[in-house]
Amino acid sequence: MLIDLRAVTKTYQAGHVAVPALKGIDLRIHHGEFVAIIGQSGSGKTTLLDILGCLSHPTSGEYWLDGENTNVISESRLTTIRNQKIGFVFQTFHLLPRKTALDNVQLPLMYAGVPRVSQHRRAQELLTMVGLQDRLLHYSNQLSGGQQQRVAIARALANHPALLLADEPTGNLDTQSGKDILDMFETLHRDGQTIVMITHDPSIAQRANRRITLSDGQVVADETSDLSASARPISSEQT
Amino acid sequence: MIGSIFQDALKNLTANLLRSSLTMLGVIIGVASVITMIAIVEGGQLWLVNSIERLGTNLLFVWKKRLTVEERRIFAGRNTQLRYEDALAIRERFPELDVAPVLEIDQKIKAGDRDYSGRVTATSPEFSTIRNFHPASGRFLTSTDLHDWHRTIVLGQTVAQALFGSSPALGEEVKIRDHRFTVVGVMEPKGEIYGQDYDEMMFIPITTGMRFFTGTNKIRFLILHVPQRERMPEITEELHQFLVQRHDGVDDIFIRNQGEFLGAVEQTIWTFRIVLSGIALVALLVGGIGIMNIMLVTVTERTREIGLRKAIGAKRRDILLQFLIESTTISIVGGTVGIVVGIVAAYGFGNMVAQAMPGGGDWGAVIQPSAIAIAFLFAIAVGVTFGLFPAIKASKLDPAEALRYQ
Ligand SMILES: Nc1ncnc2c1ncn2[C@@H]1O[C@H](COP(=O)(O)OP(=O)(O)OP(=O)(O)O)[C@@H](O)[C@H]1O
Ligand SMILES: [Mg+2]
Repeated sequence: MLIDLRAVTKTYQAGHVAVPALKGIDLRIHHGEFVAIIGQSGSGKTTLLDILGCLSHPTSGEYWLDGENTNVISESRLTTIRNQKIGFVFQTFHLLPRKTALDNVQLPLMYAGVPRVSQHRRAQELLTMVGLQDRLLHYSNQLSGGQQQRVAIARALANHPALLLADEPTGNLDTQSGKDILDMFETLHRDGQTIVMITHDPSIAQRANRRITLSDGQVVADETSDLSASARPISSEQT
Repeated sequence: MIGSIFQDALKNLTANLLRSSLTMLGVIIGVASVITMIAIVEGGQLWLVNSIERLGTNLLFVWKKRLTVEERRIFAGRNTQLRYEDALAIRERFPELDVAPVLEIDQKIKAGDRDYSGRVTATSPEFSTIRNFHPASGRFLTSTDLHDWHRTIVLGQTVAQALFGSSPALGEEVKIRDHRFTVVGVMEPKGEIYGQDYDEMMFIPITTGMRFFTGTNKIRFLILHVPQRERMPEITEELHQFLVQRHDGVDDIFIRNQGEFLGAVEQTIWTFRIVLSGIALVALLVGGIGIMNIMLVTVTERTREIGLRKAIGAKRRDILLQFLIESTTISIVGGTVGIVVGIVAAYGFGNMVAQAMPGGGDWGAVIQPSAIAIAFLFAIAVGVTFGLFPAIKASKLDPAEALRYQ
């Protein structure tokens, strides 16, 4: 089991007002699953993703990631976990400006302390994988939205993360580019990558093999597609 | 990793070239003023010390005090003048001292149809060594000149030029009032020191001066050279007592010590130094505040970048280092430019002073490597100090919030 959330709540403090964003989430996700989290705006999807990605701590409850209780570890260790076990893909890409595609993909490798030559080789390999081998030295602002998101996916995969987290990855893309990204996710999933993807579009959610619906900070539905419809190698470990 | 952070820092700075340059301007002005001010103070000190040394070192000056009407009435009949005999008595009592009595006579000097109005210094042979002022051709006054009241004269460069042009003055005759003098020497060029143009001086034996021009044995002042500097206070004291005794107990003389003068000059220079360093430091401080200001803006502008970097594995110290290197880069680049500007300004200013100041011909800025090193280290320190707060702020940003910052 990769993810184990136990009675997780998150309450934001907006001035003197307490805003409960998550109201007790129990959730388990296994290695190799492709999960879509759906729900209306304000239902707590991003809040949940922040916790899954170790970007913020739950207000109460426990989050076990890959057998480790994240509540009780240091901030520095959390950073290492984000670097090593989690890859992020955002709606707004979040590529660094004034840096080439190659540089952007090398960034998590640099923070991991990978030697420069290996950084370069790995980044090139990843960009080739997402089909951008002829855009290596293009700056972020010289790439289309779809291309930028592919760079972001390459960056997310740099350190072979156990978990790929995506918050509305197709939200800023046209239909065709969005479809390309989802195809890529499906391929990754087929190769055993665990993916958790947020979307509010039910048709996109259909591409996943499990759909968790949030409403007002609570899980209101959790349905899994027919196992025969998609490969779900529960036992396969990530490299 | 440091190397690539440094590259990033340069990239970010060049991406906002105008803003970075304006920020650097503060550092540039700060560092340049440190360099210029140190160079000017050092140059000034060197010049002062040099000119004092050219005047001769370890000197005592004995002057006669001006007595009030009352005092003159009380001391009537007592020996209350500075006289040639005082000089002779001092020589006998303090054989280790060089003594030069001085009498000044304002006269017109004629040579053929040319003349020159100036001040004739009547003195003894010691004057030349004491003041470190020597003849370029011929000789200075000798004891025989004094003993036999020779009408010999030694001319300064300007005087020789005025009276004889380019033809040699040596052996020629000049007339002062009705007395014929033979030119026995022409002094080396020395220029102006403290308002006294040495090239306009001319010298005759003091005995001749007293006999032909003043008709008394009164002199104007005495210059004494003390061989050991550390004995100056002691000798000053003894000399004072000795002269008071000679003047029938009347304290009508005062002795000025050139060392005191040097000390006063040094003190003034220290005051200058402190004031100027203060100004320079304030300039650097203002530069530092500029850096802090711009770094705070940068951190805010790049909140999302910071969030992203943290999300993909940047530790606090990675972020801290990144922004610290960026602020330090501003100060290093600004500091380097500031050093160049400072050196140019210092030499420019030095030249200006040399031209504007009478006798400042050999005035120049002095730029010591240590001054450059100090200015540069200060610049780096400013970059680190004032970059620290923004960098800490950046490193403490919450990644989830930073990523959603609009
Ligand atoms: N920093 C914050 N401070 C206070 N309240 C917050 C904060 N972040 C989110 N919230 C609140 O928490 C709730 C859940 O927000 P969240 O961003 O998780 O929703 P979401 O499902 O991702 O919505 P969307 O689909 O619009 O992105 C909302 O009511 C929101 O207003
Ligand atoms: Mg959201």
